Amino acid sequence: MAKGPFQNKIFLWLISAAGIMFFFSFLLVPLYNVFCEVTGLNGKIYGPSDFLKKETEVKEREVNIKFLSIVSGSAPVVFYPSTQNLTVITDNPKGTTYIAENKSNKRITVRIVPSVSPGLAADSVKKIQCFCLDGDIVLEPYEKQEWQLRFFIDSDLRKNVNDVYLSYTLFEKDREEIMVMKHEH
Amino acid sequence: MSAVVENHDHHDHHGPQKGIWRWFTTTNHKDIGTLYLWFSFLAFLVGGAFAMGIRAELFEPGLQLMDPIRYNQLVTMHGLIMIFGGVMPAFVGLANWLIPMQIGAPDMALPRMNNLSFWLLPTAFAILMSTAFMEGGMPGFGWTFYAPLSTNYPNVAFFVFAVHIMGISSIMGSINVIVTIMNMRAPGMNLMKMPLFVWSWLITAYLLIAVMPVLAGAVTMLLMDAYFGTSFFDAAGGGDPVLFQHIFWFFGHPEVYIMILPAFGITSHIISTFSRKPLFGHSSMVYAMVSIAVLSFVVWAHHMFTVGMPLAAELFFMWATMLIAIPTGVKVFNWCATIFKGSITYETPMLFAIAFVVLFTIGGFSGLMLAITPADFQYHDTYFVVAHFHYVLVPGSVFSIMAAVYYWLPKWTGNMYDEKLGKLHFWLSFIGVNVTFFPQHFVGLAGMPRRYADYSLQFAEWNAVSSVGAFLFGLSQLLFLYIVLRTIFVGKKATSQVWEGADGLEWTVDSPAPYHSFETPPKING
Repeated sequence: MAKGPFQNKIFLWLISAAGIMFFFSFLLVPLYNVFCEVTGLNGKIYGPSDFLKKETEVKEREVNIKFLSIVSGSAPVVFYPSTQNLTVITDNPKGTTYIAENKSNKRITVRIVPSVSPGLAADSVKKIQCFCLDGDIVLEPYEKQEWQLRFFIDSDLRKNVNDVYLSYTLFEKDREEIMVMKHEH
Repeated sequence: MSAVVENHDHHDHHGPQKGIWRWFTTTNHKDIGTLYLWFSFLAFLVGGAFAMGIRAELFEPGLQLMDPIRYNQLVTMHGLIMIFGGVMPAFVGLANWLIPMQIGAPDMALPRMNNLSFWLLPTAFAILMSTAFMEGGMPGFGWTFYAPLSTNYPNVAFFVFAVHIMGISSIMGSINVIVTIMNMRAPGMNLMKMPLFVWSWLITAYLLIAVMPVLAGAVTMLLMDAYFGTSFFDAAGGGDPVLFQHIFWFFGHPEVYIMILPAFGITSHIISTFSRKPLFGHSSMVYAMVSIAVLSFVVWAHHMFTVGMPLAAELFFMWATMLIAIPTGVKVFNWCATIFKGSITYETPMLFAIAFVVLFTIGGFSGLMLAITPADFQYHDTYFVVAHFHYVLVPGSVFSIMAAVYYWLPKWTGNMYDEKLGKLHFWLSFIGVNVTFFPQHFVGLAGMPRRYADYSLQFAEWNAVSSVGAFLFGLSQLLFLYIVLRTIFVGKKATSQVWEGADGLEWTVDSPAPYHSFETPPKING
């Protein structure tokens, strides 16, 4: 007898398999984030660290830190580190700043996404205070802000790593049109 | 299940409907196979025209014919059309024609769905091509559509919906293939007795069902990022662009094997026929294809060695990738062993099949080089990669499709093709392909990057050579069209056996194959 496809077991199996794989592709998103967080891969920073001097026999050593800044897309913001290089001693906190200046007459909301290179050093970069952990930051028209960064490099940093790059990318989230008269000229 | 065509006709052997309407309403597997094959040939010509546009621009350094944006659009559309419009529909067309005849079934299991899955394809490509007439133009972000480049591109929604529709079409086609193979084999044909083309398609269909939905998921996320304010891949909102690459290549690598496994099946039939020997190692061929398919799910990140993965992951993906060389080696060994001491004749299908084995193996070897993680840091995104995947796709998949057309064309049309013209077509294609793609290995190793409309002067000579080869290869496909048309209209009559060494159920029916074959299932002995 002729049966419709929906009475066919294999057909139903295959249709559901396709459906399951579609949802699986969305499941990959949280799986990926959990995987990165658990393994500490991918150069991601997941939150502020407390500064606690550990009693360890590890020798302190010098590490070169290089600061990078990137403005994503066409945000009308100038964004740069106040120092480009810093030599730090492991386990000793250091501070520096980044400067951001809104070049437009609009109120701009930005968000900063950090990245550490090499990725395997990300675990050893401990941020005590970082503008990248503050979420959204609002820049008023033509406003210039100085943002604080305090961190230390844990002495468990891999032996073969002597240079660590801290990169910050500025993303524009929102641009608000507000009327501002500029009288300087 | 064979009762599907009986509802409106009382004759036992009714022919096709008259007129053009036949092609829109047909549920006959042979008609739908023909539609698929002509569609893919059209896509092959359009994608080929785009490729010639690319090679014309690259004939000499500097920007001659188009601006870089137009160039990127040509590259993107060339890839999309060739993969989703050329190679995949061609294999589905062959599956439609051959699977029922090779397993002794009267038709595909789900004939109306079969009609729908074909007609979705022209719809999808109409949507995709319509962007050519819009402001912002065709997609230009590469066939891999890496986010967030693609999310910021104009007309990306058209691309997304086109991919959705193509995906639905492929999934329906695959379900049809699996249901047909599982339910409609002739009595006595157990799984291990199935012809290898049927086996290769059974495995391919499972791969398609597993990964086409992942592609659909990826483009859906892309659409949501672009228009609905989500941030799957946008770092500004907490997303991750590298995640896109993981999801894409989780689809993308099995996709690569989707485009080569049916070619393995075709080659096995042809080499056995023209060596006049049964295929060496039938069951090892099956196991090799199954292992290739399983491994294809755990190698995806070899496309992403340079994104900054940890060492452990790079090593895992390197070794997993190299592991694929073993089942592939088994297959190449079996083909060679089949040829060994055979009574070989070199008709056109055999020439294409031998060229397939040799040139696909070259592509496989450059694939092994790319699998070596430290070496890949040099090769990544250079023309070496372009040379590699064109070697496995053009003289790989495309040659196998041409071989299949020459091999089964007498069965489809009832007429023999012109052997002299066929051989001429083979040699022009063979020379054209190698002149086009072999020099790309050299410029790639010398550091020429992919996806640029311009290049530095030291690459000029080999690029000129490559362009000449591309035009030779491209234009000789018009000869292919002429040969096929000539066969249909003025070819000599073919016997039902067609080839002296041919073996299989499809050679037991008349040439041309009657509109309805195997209405009573054949008996498989042994």
